[in-house]
Amino acid sequence: MEIYLPIAEMSVHWLLLFAMGGAVGFLSGMFGVGGGFLLTPLLIFYGIPSGVAVATTASHVTASSMSGALTQLRNRAVDLKLAGIMTISGIVGTGIGVWLFGLLREAGQMELIVSASYVIMLGTIGILMLRESMETLAASRRGEPAPSARAQHHNWIHGLPLKMRFRDSRLYISVIPPVLIGLSVGILSAIMGIGGGFVLVPALIYLVRVPANIVMGTSLMQILFVTASSTILHSVSDFTVDIVLAAILIAGGVIGAQFGVRMAARLRGEQLRFLLALLVLAVGARLLYGLLVSPGDPFSISADMP
Amino acid sequence: MRRDSPPSAIAARCRPPRVGGGKRRAALFAASLFFSAGAAQADDLVAGLSQDIIQITSNYNGTDIVAFGAIENMNVMTAAGPLDIVVAVRGPNADITVRKKERVAGIWLNNHGVVMRGIPGYYYVASTRPLSAIAPEDTLKRYELGLDLVEPSSTTARTPEIAEPYRQALVRHKLIEGLYNENAGGVEFLSPTLFRARVPVPADVPRGQYNVQVYLFRDGNVVSAQSTPLYVDQTGLERRLFNFAHQEPLAYGLSTVLMAAALGWLSSIVFRRMT
Repeated sequence: MEIYLPIAEMSVHWLLLFAMGGAVGFLSGMFGVGGGFLLTPLLIFYGIPSGVAVATTASHVTASSMSGALTQLRNRAVDLKLAGIMTISGIVGTGIGVWLFGLLREAGQMELIVSASYVIMLGTIGILMLRESMETLAASRRGEPAPSARAQHHNWIHGLPLKMRFRDSRLYISVIPPVLIGLSVGILSAIMGIGGGFVLVPALIYLVRVPANIVMGTSLMQILFVTASSTILHSVSDFTVDIVLAAILIAGGVIGAQFGVRMAARLRGEQLRFLLALLVLAVGARLLYGLLVSPGDPFSISADMP
Repeated sequence: MRRDSPPSAIAARCRPPRVGGGKRRAALFAASLFFSAGAAQADDLVAGLSQDIIQITSNYNGTDIVAFGAIENMNVMTAAGPLDIVVAVRGPNADITVRKKERVAGIWLNNHGVVMRGIPGYYYVASTRPLSAIAPEDTLKRYELGLDLVEPSSTTARTPEIAEPYRQALVRHKLIEGLYNENAGGVEFLSPTLFRARVPVPADVPRGQYNVQVYLFRDGNVVSAQSTPLYVDQTGLERRLFNFAHQEPLAYGLSTVLMAAALGWLSSIVFRRMT
């Protein structure tokens, strides 16, 4: 059951990692997210060096978003123009992110920045999503129509210049928000090893006001290309992608994802968002705990990459 | 330099030596006495290894090697004073950064770091008796024998006093990982002249050239020493993948992405057939 990872340079229980990939795949299929925000901390907890965990998770997310993006493409639920703009800015973002990643690693602050950004992002997104899904659930219990997630009133975003028409999303908006969202998700992807779906989906719904049926496919498309470029950039700049680890995780992940998709079909959208919000908040709380509670041993060691 | 804990305190924390496989080991030992390429000659001491290369394959999960030898010179044998053998194995030197977390504004973060340059990535010392009983600290220090005496060649700390707690933390972490260890009583005499020591090589050892040093002590002095190299390297598929990743990183990254995309695509097809 032991297999030696050539890049992480350690031997691991492959069945355990396969199961880990499967569990994360199940959740990602169920919630339509890449699952990187769960997998990276799990791998680090297992003992995989954090650099390898971040870079290899990116390839796992590539596989799970590939599967999802193809399904959405067949259903014509993708705004290709919007996805294209965000992908290009996303790839630029991963370049910046990989560069930042190297700087942080040298300064010994990578762990802190990764944890802190997780706490802030997961906390914000989790609370927003929890509030929205609970309002919807409460409204449907009272028998009222659900409040539309796509508010009709104009917000500050409509005041920005460089407007562009996105026919599939039925939007006429400035390109600045999608570019900024793509860029920041790219940076996050490279630093945290995530696809950024849990940031991208709420941002597209609440800020850009993309229709709900187009959001998932469009974000999956962007995640696919951003994590692919993140994998390649990490391979080239810091040699931290472990192909054997990737293969084990992906094999588990794609199988788990299919069961997750079936589970999702049995639940309503707001129930799914409610559960995802709880999951996101739980991961955020766990990381916050790590930052606030005194460590058993204040010292840590890391070998400098040759 | 002041030491916080005597060597015996560290020795008490060490894992006991592994036992078992005696017959097979003895046969291996006898065979390697005759065939080993690693055996080296000196006036008073011959020493060798059961294996002078460890190959890391896909199912590699750690192994043990046996360092063995004999005291040759009968003058040494018959002279007065107790004889002791110390076997020290050092892995390739590395630069290791040790960081200390401190509480800043309620958050624990890495505040100070010290780089230990040229400190062994693996260190194992076995001896016939506790090291403190074999030789005075000065002598042990000169040969860097004992977990309390493993020193980097240099550090980024301003003074050795500042570096000391960081060095101890490094040794503590390496001990937990099984990459550093001290085993008083790990060298056993099979006859008045023949001795052997089992050296555990855990699963995640660094690759590179190791050095196995065997010292013969009498009355606290080294009377003879032997050095034998040991190589740890990846082999087969692992070696090829490692080389691929480092020599052609772009192609390696592209292959990983292609594999991921292909598996994702395959799963979406299979799933569509199933429903």
